[in-house]
Amino acid sequence: MSKHISSLMPAVLAKSPNMCVHIMPLIGRISLRIRQEIDKFDDALGIELPRQIGARSSKDDIEALCLGPDEWTLLMPIEKLSTVQNTLAGLYASLPHSMTEVTGREITFAIEGEQAETLLSIGCPRDIRTIKIGQARRTLFDGATVVIWCDAHNKYRMDVWNSFAPFVAQTLETGVGELAAELTQS
Amino acid sequence: MSQFRLQGRGRVDASRPVTFTFDGKSYTGQKGDTVASALLSHGVHLMGRSFKYHRPRGPMTAGSEEPNALIGTRRGPGRFEPNTRATVQEIWDGLETTSQNKYPSIKFDLGAVNDFAYMAFSAGFYYKTFMWPRSFWDKVYEPFIRAAAGLGVAPAEVDPDTYASRYLHCDLLIVGAGPAGIAAAKEAAGKGIDVVLVDENSEMGGTLLSEPQAEIDGVPAWSWLEKELAALKAAGVKLMTRTTAIGYYHENMIGMVEKLTDHLPTLPQDTPRERMWRVRSKQVILAQGALEKPLVFHGNDRPGVMLSGSAQTYLNRYGVKVGNRPAVMTSHDSAWHTAFDLVDAGAMVQAIVDTRKEVPSALIEGAKARNIPIKLNHTITATSGRLRISSIRVNPTEGDQVGSGKWIKCDALLMSGGWTPSIHLFSHTKGKLAWDDDLTTFLPDQTPENCAIAGASRGLWGVKNALDDGAKRAAEIMSQLGQTVSAGEYAAEYTVQNDRSGSGVSMKELPTDRSASRAKAFVDYQNDVTAKDLRLAVREGMRSIEHVKRYTTNGMATDQGKMSNINGLNIASDALGKRQPEVGLTTFRPPYTPTTFGAFAGYHRGDHFEITRKTQIDSWAEQNGAAFEPVGQWRRAWYFPQEGEDMHAAVKRECAATRESVGIFDASTLGKIEVVGPDAVEFMNRVYTNPWTKLGVGKCRYGLLLGDDGYIRDDGVIARIEPERFHITTTTGGAARVLNMMEDYLQTEWPELNVWLTSTTEQYSTVALNGPNAAKVLAPLVEGIELSESAFPHMSCVNVTVAGLPARLWRVSFTGEIGFEINVAAPYGRQLWERLIEAGKPYNITPYGTETMHVLRAEKGYIIVGQDTDGTVTPYDCGMGWAIGKKKPDFVGKRGLDRPDLTAANRKQLVGLLTEDKTCLEEGAQIVFDPHHPIPMKMVGHVTSSYDEGTCGQPIALALVEGGHSKVGETVYIPMPDRTIAAKITSTIFIDPENNRLKI
Amino acid sequence: MLLIPCPYCAETLPEVEFAYAGEAHVVRPSDPSLMSDEEWENYLFIRTNAKGTHFERWRHIHGCGRFFNVVRDTVSDKIYMAYKAGEPKPKIDALLEKQR
Repeated sequence: MSKHISSLMPAVLAKSPNMCVHIMPLIGRISLRIRQEIDKFDDALGIELPRQIGARSSKDDIEALCLGPDEWTLLMPIEKLSTVQNTLAGLYASLPHSMTEVTGREITFAIEGEQAETLLSIGCPRDIRTIKIGQARRTLFDGATVVIWCDAHNKYRMDVWNSFAPFVAQTLETGVGELAAELTQS
Repeated sequence: MSQFRLQGRGRVDASRPVTFTFDGKSYTGQKGDTVASALLSHGVHLMGRSFKYHRPRGPMTAGSEEPNALIGTRRGPGRFEPNTRATVQEIWDGLETTSQNKYPSIKFDLGAVNDFAYMAFSAGFYYKTFMWPRSFWDKVYEPFIRAAAGLGVAPAEVDPDTYASRYLHCDLLIVGAGPAGIAAAKEAAGKGIDVVLVDENSEMGGTLLSEPQAEIDGVPAWSWLEKELAALKAAGVKLMTRTTAIGYYHENMIGMVEKLTDHLPTLPQDTPRERMWRVRSKQVILAQGALEKPLVFHGNDRPGVMLSGSAQTYLNRYGVKVGNRPAVMTSHDSAWHTAFDLVDAGAMVQAIVDTRKEVPSALIEGAKARNIPIKLNHTITATSGRLRISSIRVNPTEGDQVGSGKWIKCDALLMSGGWTPSIHLFSHTKGKLAWDDDLTTFLPDQTPENCAIAGASRGLWGVKNALDDGAKRAAEIMSQLGQTVSAGEYAAEYTVQNDRSGSGVSMKELPTDRSASRAKAFVDYQNDVTAKDLRLAVREGMRSIEHVKRYTTNGMATDQGKMSNINGLNIASDALGKRQPEVGLTTFRPPYTPTTFGAFAGYHRGDHFEITRKTQIDSWAEQNGAAFEPVGQWRRAWYFPQEGEDMHAAVKRECAATRESVGIFDASTLGKIEVVGPDAVEFMNRVYTNPWTKLGVGKCRYGLLLGDDGYIRDDGVIARIEPERFHITTTTGGAARVLNMMEDYLQTEWPELNVWLTSTTEQYSTVALNGPNAAKVLAPLVEGIELSESAFPHMSCVNVTVAGLPARLWRVSFTGEIGFEINVAAPYGRQLWERLIEAGKPYNITPYGTETMHVLRAEKGYIIVGQDTDGTVTPYDCGMGWAIGKKKPDFVGKRGLDRPDLTAANRKQLVGLLTEDKTCLEEGAQIVFDPHHPIPMKMVGHVTSSYDEGTCGQPIALALVEGGHSKVGETVYIPMPDRTIAAKITSTIFIDPENNRLKI
Repeated sequence: MLLIPCPYCAETLPEVEFAYAGEAHVVRPSDPSLMSDEEWENYLFIRTNAKGTHFERWRHIHGCGRFFNVVRDTVSDKIYMAYKAGEPKPKIDALLEKQR
């Protein structure tokens, strides 16, 4: 397996007449952990952090996803990172929390096209349809931990840690080919 | 036109001839044929030899339960599969098939000598025959058994096909698309739930495909079928053919294998051969139908002997007469209809022999109208014909008395011993069975799963019963799925004309006038188990059906006793003098039918065999010729061989270059965990052995992690980035485990601690620079700090800019040289690496891999957890008592270290070893104190690490030795197969014990 | 393959998203140094090994990351319920009655 994937090199990974998987460019990411007084963080960040696991919210160019009872992922343009980090740093003394930058940790694959849901079903054991439009879930894809975001019908993003990306990409590529062949035969 | 093909009959396509070969000879069949139906259309019944006795055999069935007609199928190089059932394999132009278990040919087979030695091969013969002389086992018996054992020949080439897998979630899965399954799907379709209907056959319809005479609601069966399948498809039901439900697992998970290409003449691109479906369905209906039972009598395995229902399938579905002059032997009504269909198709049925005294008058009339001789209250006692049946011997019976026999000529014998519900998948659910005395069979009873059984698989015979039951079961399930309509309002009832639900009696062996010991009356055709074997097993003391099964191998072949289990049970029960339910049935296990390894492997083969994690610098290593090794899930650069170098030479060069000037190493795989929160220090104090309170911001410390049992679990350098933020590093393989352990303590034992853990393993690419020139290479690229001993001493960390990238720069060493670890955002790892390589050129900067890393650290006595420790080693055993925060009230493992065994004298302790003859020891080699001690010697430890590529001038080793710390200077011995090596115990530190080399 | 209800996610999900974590309600002593060797051995190594109803821990490791408790029958593999870490052991008789 001589595949290598980098978020510094966004590119189309696999394409068929009705499917496209591409590597998305680097985006600012923060892992935010809070145990209480979440509403104060809402106020400071100017975005209402979703309270339910799997729920998302967005405001301007920040997107928030609740991954666990005390865990959120914040996505934002790289330029905005330091502003958000400074805001959170300012809160720390009075509202202890954990803010860890994980911008470099993950690769995001955009998975779009009429067979996107089926493509995810070759590796994800959970019923993809339970991830409603506008939600996201941490789950598995072909054995690797991933976060799957559903942005619209058959429009998904999948975050995976860098090192797993070549393996996961290979599965996605195989799947796109397989699904394209399936469509031409039916 | 072949002799046995009926023009215009069946579902095959006469306008599309298909040519294939069997044992090198070319045959033409029709599109829609299986190998078996096509060969039968040419009068070929002989398709294989049996497993043990190499008896000639032909197809017994027309489906996946086939025990006899197992063939090899080939599609060019690499694409060979043994043990394919000829009754299932569809033909296509160019298909090559071969018979099995024959030498030199299927018609004359030397192995058939086993058949004459029948007496010697009875039940348990392996256990009895090969016991003595003992010395014969290796040389004679085992080679013989190995050569003779097995069905078919394993393919020797790499399989060029691909395999796939997919998850599927639905509301209702219906297994089996016969009348019951289709009626169930019809009931559930179009009501807003996801319905999936699967069938293992190439087309749906089940028994309807063999019963075109039936009329359902006034419509001929095949027209009804076509109409209903189209309607189901239109209603959004997912219809899957050539898909076998192989296993029923917890919580309604069903494994299904879909065969996608085995029936195609040319392979479409990007299409896997098979796909494993992992289905999770809220409700399941099993409508798998029933399997016909053979009758057990002498010679019941001769080619030409076949189940009557299968003959009917060959006739009505494939348009093939299995014989021109067949005879029928039955204990059930259904075989009579086969006889009628065959006569109507032009065959001359020689006789219908029925074990029963009385049969329904309609059958008698039907037979008389067709001039078929009827023999009620008769048995069959023999068959003849070498490669094909030519006559049968029929005897009248009266009670237990068998009258004198009379031979009847025939070219096929169609038998029926009644029907057994197919309960295999139901059994996988741990479902309980209930014995039904009327049907003489087990029926499904209770199951813990959300699963219903419909139609013949719960003992309801006939098309109408199946249809009505399918609809009813589906209606019940609809209400369970929250549909508003009540069950009663739903279920359709069907009107069926020309239905053939019949009845019969179940038999053990048929009565005979032959000596029981000479009868070859087969129960399990695939494993060549006879009724005599079963009775012998009982006579020899087997009481449990499980023991009878294993002693005789009845039901243990790849068909899992689909045809033999109930007959076997009836005979064993009779021999034991018990009722069948008191004897019980052996367990059916997945898979339902033989399944390829490919289907289980799915995508995971070749370079996709398992998850392979790569760093962002891996691409550089690959382009620069690195050899790789797997470390946990990672692949890591092992060494970087230059032209003409082997591993030894490369590692020796890498070691020397690093000690002399500077080496560069990709340390990105090290686990990293960020610990943040007001209680970060307290948490660190509780999980690591070391004290953390006084560690200053910007400082690093080596941390040792134990389990509560006191044994070493992990280690790594930890930096205090901020007062309440630590950056932990873990071993490469331990990262996930360590985080899980920490989360466990944090979440469940210390939820009061205000601290959080975040995995940052993949946030950073980590490049290690080591060597006397490391600072010189790095300094020009660093902004923000001077790389001097005073400004940035060993075990410091700082946030700076390196090569223009924000970096966490650490001064640490795992080599004993001046060392730096530069952590930058992961995607920039390769960029940093290349800048350092460029900057290091004047210093002959040398990339090194994990092997050199191992050598250099061993020279310095640094342990590798998992190599020098094995989960039973304490910090004290490793001479690392200095890492224990003795003043701390508690930490994970503190109490464990006081366990009596851990404080005992003479524990194995980590020491260095230097061999007297300067040879390199083998890792894992056992150590003794006294090489002259008689064998078995007392082993006192083992070599944990050993290298001869290092810079000490001689090979070095680390070892765990009993009481080793007090034996420094003493000699121990390492016995090897060819000689015994003497080695002196030393300190674990082989170079620079004063740490002078760490100073800039 | 089991389906496991996660009390934090409020979803029932395939077993592969979870990692088993041993028997539940085995509490680490607040001061291990006060424990006799026997008591410590009991805490470290001795488990009920139940045939039937078993209180056990799982972690939703590929999901929300939380450890929680599950009541499972080790014979039938039936999972009766799940509850958050730190919550008291449910009264099993009432629970089983309710299941019936």
